[in-house]
Amino acid sequence: MWVRLRSFVGGLARRARVERDLADEIEFHVRARAEHWERQGLLPPEAARKARLEFGAVEGYKERCREARGLRLIDELRGDLGYGLRQMRAAPMFTAIAVGILAIAVGANTAVFSVIEAALWRMLPVERPEELRELAWTARQDGFSGWYNGSMRPYPGGGLIATSFAYPVYAHVRDNSTAFADLFLFDRNDRINIGVAGQAHVVPGLLVSGSFFRGLGVEMAIGRPIVPEDDRAGTPPVAVLSYRCWQRLFGGNPSALGQTITVNSAPAVVIGVTPPGFYGVEPGRPIDLVVPITAILPAFYDDMPDILRSSRHWGFRVMGRLKPGVTDEEAQTETEALVRQALPVNPGQDERYDLTDVLVNAGGQGLDALRRNYARPLWLLMGIAGAILLIACANIAGLLLTRATSRQREISIRLAVGAGRARLVRQLLTESFLLACVGGGLGIGLAFVVRDRLLPLLNLVQEPLEVTLGLNLWLLAFSIGLCLAVGVLCGILPALRATRANVAPMLARAMPSGSASGSRLFAGKTLIALQVALSVVLLVGAGLFVGTLVNLRSEALGFRPEHVLLFDMDAALSGYEGTRLHDFYERALERVSAAPGVRAASMSQYGLLEGGGRTEDIVVSGAPRGRAKMHVHVLFVAPRFFETMGIPLLVGRDFTSSDREAAPRVALGNQTLARRLPGGRSPVGRRIRYGEPPDGDTEIIGMVADARFATLREPSPPILYLPYRQHQHHRMTFAMRAAGAPAALASAIRQTLAELDPNVPLLNVMTQNEQINRSVQQERTFAQLVSGFAALAVLLACLGIYGTLAYSVARRTSEIGLRMALGARPWNIVQLVLRESLIPVVMGAVLGLAGAIASTRLVESMLFGLTPHDAPTFLIATLALVGSALLAAWLPSRRAARVDPMSALRCE
Amino acid sequence: MPPRADLLPGTLDLLILKSVSLGTLHGYGVLLRIEQITGGALLVEQGALYPALFRLEHRGLLQSEWGVSENNRRAKYYRLTAAGRRALRAETESWNRLTAAMAAALRTRTGEV
Repeated sequence: MWVRLRSFVGGLARRARVERDLADEIEFHVRARAEHWERQGLLPPEAARKARLEFGAVEGYKERCREARGLRLIDELRGDLGYGLRQMRAAPMFTAIAVGILAIAVGANTAVFSVIEAALWRMLPVERPEELRELAWTARQDGFSGWYNGSMRPYPGGGLIATSFAYPVYAHVRDNSTAFADLFLFDRNDRINIGVAGQAHVVPGLLVSGSFFRGLGVEMAIGRPIVPEDDRAGTPPVAVLSYRCWQRLFGGNPSALGQTITVNSAPAVVIGVTPPGFYGVEPGRPIDLVVPITAILPAFYDDMPDILRSSRHWGFRVMGRLKPGVTDEEAQTETEALVRQALPVNPGQDERYDLTDVLVNAGGQGLDALRRNYARPLWLLMGIAGAILLIACANIAGLLLTRATSRQREISIRLAVGAGRARLVRQLLTESFLLACVGGGLGIGLAFVVRDRLLPLLNLVQEPLEVTLGLNLWLLAFSIGLCLAVGVLCGILPALRATRANVAPMLARAMPSGSASGSRLFAGKTLIALQVALSVVLLVGAGLFVGTLVNLRSEALGFRPEHVLLFDMDAALSGYEGTRLHDFYERALERVSAAPGVRAASMSQYGLLEGGGRTEDIVVSGAPRGRAKMHVHVLFVAPRFFETMGIPLLVGRDFTSSDREAAPRVALGNQTLARRLPGGRSPVGRRIRYGEPPDGDTEIIGMVADARFATLREPSPPILYLPYRQHQHHRMTFAMRAAGAPAALASAIRQTLAELDPNVPLLNVMTQNEQINRSVQQERTFAQLVSGFAALAVLLACLGIYGTLAYSVARRTSEIGLRMALGARPWNIVQLVLRESLIPVVMGAVLGLAGAIASTRLVESMLFGLTPHDAPTFLIATLALVGSALLAAWLPSRRAARVDPMSALRCE
Repeated sequence: MPPRADLLPGTLDLLILKSVSLGTLHGYGVLLRIEQITGGALLVEQGALYPALFRLEHRGLLQSEWGVSENNRRAKYYRLTAAGRRALRAETESWNRLTAAMAAALRTRTGEV
């Protein structure tokens, strides 16, 4: 086998020499033979002739020699490729269209797939990621209360699953585990204020236990990693920067090592920089800073100094690296036992610790929040891109089919002189592969050129997706596979059809007709029906998404978003706390209100429609037992918030600057809250308890109109508004109503606030309308992408209809001429041609509607204000498609009606 | 000249291997050697020799190199490889078995069955 391969490859590589040698060898033989005959007494010319005669057909034997070395296949392929290239050059228009269509289709697929690969499949860029495990646990639906404050989500097996742990529980498992080589803990914080050379920056980061980098298996680009010795209370804090953060803040200068930066105003020494590809433990959400949790604790949890000793704060995530040879079952059994040991022995009345199972999940891909949020929309996009590819293939197959007709004579002749059908199919397939490779190659190139602009397009959830799209084996395999599939899909049907020709009648007549081309027309119509069907599905999808977006945007907001500018501030990160924090915000608000062009300004803990919020239980005084408790949304606001946002105050009064720390506790409610208050009287003057007594006794002093709060999709929840100075909090969203264009205010406000304290940066500066657009980001993305794809699909389908009909009209010119000569009117001819296109279009539309009915259920959860079977959408989509199809059919039918009977008959 | 018989299929390869096993030869030399060792009784199509030589070389049974012929021309010489030697032995044995069986079969007379 090896010998043959070497001989084959050798023959391939030194092709010219092999040819020369072969010729020389035969020449030598013939000469020697001729000399033999000369010695026998023949004259030289006679001897040479005899020698050649004896040898036989030189070229035939040469060919068999090549074949013996397996070179014939290559020769044929080379011939086919050359032939295919000549064919492509001979029809530049056809080639350009086909290559363009394929480039767009393959490009779209490669682009979407590259995001899927990066976001859903890629392993963490660490050593042996398959050994990593993430700890989780499950509980019954009602199996926990006050003691747990991590996040939980429904578990497929029933109950809830949680992925965070209390520090003492983690420490106990870490110290006693025999299954894990390393068990490390981390806590993500999206807003860490770091100060470098007097400049404040807000970066996302991780608070980690000491063995984080050792357990994860990450080598530093420069410097050293955080080690367990760094993670002790009282140790001077150290910090590790991400590569991009190092580039951005230090210009990539190695002198960054050893420098002191501030981390939430605590000094920390930079000791290392992670490698360029490292993004933390969560794909799509890269971090810029890693600090040891125990050493840095006071800078983060000043209000919870005992958080690492508390078994009530279940807020930390835990990953570990399994020892070699330990199975998941062993690790799980041991870890569960250790977790149970670590639970407090005598929990209080409110603290039920019935956790059902401890799970040891695969962690090699990192945390799975991104995969959970993105998997569905991404696969949906992949499906749409796949539909586009199918349409493109059907389209090009149709074009090839039409073109094969003009080559019918050539093919018939070749079949007649004995070319094998398989050989011809192979040749025709080579041509479609050539098209697929050129178009696909262009598309892949296109995908990589636009990939950086692609990610913002794919902001499917509010949180932006930050992944590095790379060229790797997965992607390469996908792209090559795609091109091959396209080659076969486009080429096989036309190739089989073209070579099925009945040789004799084809040769007999210049103009092909009869059963063979009739069946080719049938094939062409099937392809059209397929394209129409897929286009209808995409059109319906586009209609549903656009309708959803329109419905969402036309929801009554309950406030006036025009002219409003927003930004966030978190002065707590810069060391402000308690009354100083409130004072800072008050001074900032005074400055913002006084800025030129600002009509009104206020602030709230979360912006409207930002998606954030907090919910609390309140107790209504004087209500019957059992009905006193209410679950409400809570929003801390400054005075004039309702005026600034344009929310009408219905009863009572707004907060004033005298609603401060020492003043009596007050609150406002919205209409929904007032409606749900037990007793049903006017809310003003009623008392509730919010938070712990004795502080919590609060009087409701007014009622405002309902406004959308966290999302456009849901009506206003009951909201309790509280004056920000009477409660503890960190961040604030400032809102100001401008006299003119809101965005124009930004720079002046930035400046006046920098004068107040340059260490407190402004974050997320945007207008309220931009904020609203962001809250419907996924809907917008889908509406845009699917509409674009649907338009492309319709365009392709129309091209296909036009091409096939134009061919059919050309083929029937003489028949049409005859009909006209016999008295048919132009209108009859138009009808004749239109009717021909009608059948595949109607078939395709019916098929497409069925497909749409079946598939739109998949996106039901993404829709708003219409059902997946929304009748107007279906109707409009169908009409739009049939209309475009008729238009595409109209052009060839008009040409048919203009046929001059005399010249048409003469050309026969 | 004795009457010539057509070659049985498959025998050409065996004849080439045998010829080359007697000494390194160029293509024309193989032809002469076959004529010589068969006493000219077998008819070899001259051109057919070369695809067979290529096939055997491709299978690794022969090795070739360019050399100079007795009348000072460049010629390609074939030599038997170790694999070729083994193949020749195996093919010879199976050929002998076949001919023996055929001969025995053809010797059979009526009554002996």
